[in-house]
Amino acid sequence: MSFVIKNALQKVPLRSTSLTVRKAISPAALIQYRQNSSSRAAQLTPHKLPTNDPLVSQIEPSNALDYVLTSLDAAANWARKSSFWPVTFGLACCAVEMMHVSTPRYDQDRLGIIFRASPRQSDIMIVAGTLTNKMAPALRQVYDQMPEPRWVISMGSCANGGGYYHYSYSVVRGCDRIVPVDVYVPGCPPTAEALMYGVFQLQKKMMKTRITRLWWRK
Amino acid sequence: MSVSLWRTVRNAYRVGLKRYAWQVATLGDAKSGDFVGQDDFGNKFYETKNPEEIHLRTRWVEYQQWGMDMSQVQPGWHWWLAYGTNTPPNKLSPEQISERAYPVPKVHKLNLTGTPGAYVPYNTAKPKCEAWTPQVARR
Repeated sequence: MSFVIKNALQKVPLRSTSLTVRKAISPAALIQYRQNSSSRAAQLTPHKLPTNDPLVSQIEPSNALDYVLTSLDAAANWARKSSFWPVTFGLACCAVEMMHVSTPRYDQDRLGIIFRASPRQSDIMIVAGTLTNKMAPALRQVYDQMPEPRWVISMGSCANGGGYYHYSYSVVRGCDRIVPVDVYVPGCPPTAEALMYGVFQLQKKMMKTRITRLWWRK
Repeated sequence: MSVSLWRTVRNAYRVGLKRYAWQVATLGDAKSGDFVGQDDFGNKFYETKNPEEIHLRTRWVEYQQWGMDMSQVQPGWHWWLAYGTNTPPNKLSPEQISERAYPVPKVHKLNLTGTPGAYVPYNTAKPKCEAWTPQVARR
């Protein structure tokens, strides 16, 4: 049965055939492009580049199976974003703001955010604070212990790029040198609202994940 | 007692079925109160004077469209919404409105993260590694 379905669907042109892989534009070329564009408003507002690939969120479903898989993806993504379990992990003063999110005023429990004591039960890692050279291997180990799928929120200037301690001899200049980061929350420290906004941004990103659609492509 | 069946029924009756459905979908609660104003994005702001309401839950925004984001709320309204001030931006007297040195856009800029308009940082420092073009020496 599945063989029949697969054969029938092979006749339908899949999205991957319509997408052409183009070379990514370099930042220098982007600046050049913006300087050459006519008005100042055109430089500031979003615009389409000839070399732009569509974002994941902009790819439209192209056939019947795509619509089915999109719905399946939406259900799975909804489950993932609604049980948002970060690992209990605080490095510096940002962790205090992270605790504020868990307290009644911001009340992370209503969003399904529960801090887990073990990285093996967590989905998210919130890197809250300065990442020192000494802590970096431990951070990487905790990240490696987390099961897939996993996400990382970099919280505060120190985790984003070293921040105040950028020129220190003992500090990693951004936790993205150690782990892949999904959302950067700016601030020193970011307010609890800012962290929650970062959480919402990550939930939006989760909803755009194409789980079964990518599986089907493979 | 702020959350009760009577309150939900009363507020749903006051706002009407359509708006009640929208409120449940976006706010997750039934709320009724006075219309205070509208920001440049078209979001509507409300406030209730009912003393039975929970402290700091008396002001709320009803977003204009689905897929709401806090950056759609105009900064002045955001300040009012977070109880920073009791004067909403549309009730400010002319001398209270700050003048900007730059032309203020009609609709404030949203957070474009995750869209083609997202902020992309770039490095202005000279790169430490440079690409090497191999050249074959003549033998």
